[in-house]
Amino acid sequence: MLLQQIVTGLSVGGIYALLATGYSLIYSLLDFSNWAHGEVAMIGAYCAFIVVGTLQLPFGLAIVGGIVGAAVISYLNERVAYRRIRHNRSPNMFLMIAAMGLSTVYQNAAGLIFGSKFVTYPGIQVSSVQLGSVYVGVLDLISLICTAIILVILVYLINKTRFGLNVRAIASNSYTANLLGIKVDQCIALVFLLAGALAGAAGVMLGLKYNVYPTMGNIGLKAFIASVIGGLGSVPGAIVGAVLLGLIETFASGYINSGLRDLISFTLLIVLLLVRPTGLFGVDVQDKA
Amino acid sequence: MTPVLEMIHVEKNFGGVRAIDDFSVTLEPGKIHGLIGPNGAGKTTIFNNITGIYTPSAGKIMFDGKDITNTPPHTVAQMGIGRTFQNIRLFSNLSVLENVVIASNLRAKYNLPQAIVHTPKFRKVEKELAEHAMGLLKIVGLEDKANERANSLPYGHQRKLEIARAMALEPKLLLLDEPAAGMNADESVELVEFIKEIKESFNLTVLMIEHHMDVVSNLCDSVTVLNFGKTLAEGTPDEVKKNPAVIEAYLGGADE
Repeated sequence: MLLQQIVTGLSVGGIYALLATGYSLIYSLLDFSNWAHGEVAMIGAYCAFIVVGTLQLPFGLAIVGGIVGAAVISYLNERVAYRRIRHNRSPNMFLMIAAMGLSTVYQNAAGLIFGSKFVTYPGIQVSSVQLGSVYVGVLDLISLICTAIILVILVYLINKTRFGLNVRAIASNSYTANLLGIKVDQCIALVFLLAGALAGAAGVMLGLKYNVYPTMGNIGLKAFIASVIGGLGSVPGAIVGAVLLGLIETFASGYINSGLRDLISFTLLIVLLLVRPTGLFGVDVQDKA
Repeated sequence: MTPVLEMIHVEKNFGGVRAIDDFSVTLEPGKIHGLIGPNGAGKTTIFNNITGIYTPSAGKIMFDGKDITNTPPHTVAQMGIGRTFQNIRLFSNLSVLENVVIASNLRAKYNLPQAIVHTPKFRKVEKELAEHAMGLLKIVGLEDKANERANSLPYGHQRKLEIARAMALEPKLLLLDEPAAGMNADESVELVEFIKEIKESFNLTVLMIEHHMDVVSNLCDSVTVLNFGKTLAEGTPDEVKKNPAVIEAYLGGADE
């Protein structure tokens, strides 16, 4: 039972981490809460459904379709909406409102096109494997392993490459970065592509686990909580926060009551904001000045 | 010889306010030109027009014979114009070395896939860049601080790090915004020597904003005096110091 809960918790936490890292990256660059990020994952999940359900192609291609679809939508959000607002030097609040608008548009569009009922990926066998004395879901194990690989690559990308250095410089001060020859707009667009791809992967995994429906993007709120736990804007923080949140939620549903799951996560958010608003890995807010 | 920088009748308006009015200057290679004038005279606005943060309302800016009037900041930087800031703007959460390496994007001639799989080419280029950056840190005397966080450095060192970072762009033209701000007399003397040194060894042309008249007199070949966006006087430091209009503006400012 315990091992099973841990594997489930880690795999849920991993999915949160895929969302939270992208969310945190965007926050670190542009200083705003991208409320449309959950909907990007939702679109990824539907793209995968089109590939496997409508076009009847193999599931491997559906994963690719989900990732590409979400990345493209995320990029378009930046290109069509956010970039114009940034270039007008409008307050960051405008970005957040635009994101809320996009989120509503996508939810309703998905409802119109696909209907508001749950859809499932056809032909997926849900099986378990025996690990020692317990049974663990194969899906959980696979998503856990994939997530771990993706996150290792991401952390490497941010900390060890020129692209990552540029991203960290823009997060520190985009104005100066621009004056030092960094193509800030191009870099931001790449981050949106990357964050979208991560969200797409998360969306497909969520679709496998909990089915696909228009409001599934509300899970973006969990990514927000995870980022706050870890410290907004910090990628390692977002990963740690997400895994913690996944474990806490799984244990809460397993040992207390599954109806209390969200109550517990949101209470955690409020307590954390009161006690340690910078989060576990939080950057001092003055650093951004 | 083509001038390194030529600003021709440049004008910049913000709404109804004319921040710069009919400003012209020509910088021959290897010269140091000073911009002086009271606060709010439009000195930093001139820098912002050169670096592409602002687009001039009228007039033309030429760099090394090329028109850069409407060029975006990152392109201006890559063409070879480095800059420091009046209020230091380092990447406070990056290391001292990373702060310098970041400015060498132009030299990083590899693409993202090469960087991810760490091809030999990537390693070679990154090693060269780190060595180049270390060389610059050595020149400003910060090589033993390379791995510290930039915001842990004392103020004077942060100023020097900003200059090292600007040098990593391999600029032809260096714009210094009040490099001696917050320095005492001894430190100013040291700074003057330092700027002379890097100017010689890197073949730089320098445009600098400075309030310390002793720094200006010791460094600048020529000076423009600005007041409320207008050019009051231009000439050698000694000439402008004797100019009645300049004395009037400075004393008038001090009286208030």
